[in-house]
Amino acid sequence: MPSLPRRKAGIVACSGEELAEGTVTRLAALKVLHVLRPHDTVTICLPLFLAGGEGDRAFARFHPTITVDGCELRCAARGTEMYSGKPAASIVVSEIVASAGLARPGGRRQLDDAGKRAVELTAEHLVRLVDDVLGRKGRGAGPGEPGTPALREPTAATCSCGSGVPTKKLVIDGKPVEVLALPLIFQQFREAGRAADEATALELLETVKIYNEVPREAEDRWREEILREYAAFCESEASR
Amino acid sequence: MSDDRREVVVVPCSGIGKPYGTVSREAAYELCDKLRPRDTRLVALAKLVLGDQEARQRVRASPAITIDGCKLMCASKLVQHSGGTVAREIAVLDVYRRNKGLKPEGLAELNEQGQKLARVLAEELAEAVDEIGRGGTPPGGSHA
Repeated sequence: MPSLPRRKAGIVACSGEELAEGTVTRLAALKVLHVLRPHDTVTICLPLFLAGGEGDRAFARFHPTITVDGCELRCAARGTEMYSGKPAASIVVSEIVASAGLARPGGRRQLDDAGKRAVELTAEHLVRLVDDVLGRKGRGAGPGEPGTPALREPTAATCSCGSGVPTKKLVIDGKPVEVLALPLIFQQFREAGRAADEATALELLETVKIYNEVPREAEDRWREEILREYAAFCESEASR
Repeated sequence: MSDDRREVVVVPCSGIGKPYGTVSREAAYELCDKLRPRDTRLVALAKLVLGDQEARQRVRASPAITIDGCKLMCASKLVQHSGGTVAREIAVLDVYRRNKGLKPEGLAELNEQGQKLARVLAEELAEAVDEIGRGGTPPGGSHA
């Protein structure tokens, strides 16, 4: 039986190539993704919000997303909000460095000592935010305390490049609506042997509401449309 | 390259999830910082995502070389989306196919083969920079 994607925090780094602070965002994000919170985080390349598909653009609506920017332009935060969804939290390396009284990072290709300290500090900030947005406050830094070796081998963190979140378009009240995760939800219900009836419709709607904002006053139309689509899905699967 | 030649804008992809993205970044630094520092200008792809006016103006004013780490070709697409001209687009995977011994591994830090692959790629692009500077068309794919 397919499982719905586990709730994870999305991390979007600006990766700004022009500045050392951009390199800091990238390395701090990778440290959290692969060492500090590998099972709780997922990432996507920022440019995919424009160059990718609808599933990519759905990223920040599906995952509570934390953006990491190198400078005050805040390309990751503003780009994510423009094309995907409002980030749950945002941090800026230059502000973190300044408030900690650290020297400005140098060496965009090979970070200097100040840059390496900035990576550690930014990663610590990120971890706290990941735990906050996932409601897991009070956890330690593990797995992978600072000093954990090598980020060469990824563990369980996921890159969403090109895969995105599966979506399905419905027409509700005459307007097209993109419903996140609906294909997976349908698949899960069908494999559980759920018939396309009113009782199932109510449960489908509740599951859809975990991942999508459903206006209270439109819930009846959503439920009807979801049930109609689920019936069509079951029929098409049965005829395969 | 003489002073009257046009600056070439270099835009690597921001790939963070695969080693090919890291190769793209490394190759861009090798090209812009070491091989052709006077003739090239690195532009951060994130600025083009945001539609930063200065970055858009820069890619519109100069021919661009894009380096992409995956088939989605974000750097090439974003330069065109910003109104720029891609004089040469290169995919890291294509360069790897021609250099099978240089399999890149690592995200934060590339292995030795990955670093060599980045250098091979950068040297190839240095020739493209020279060709563009001479007013010619560099070999490989391009988009107006």
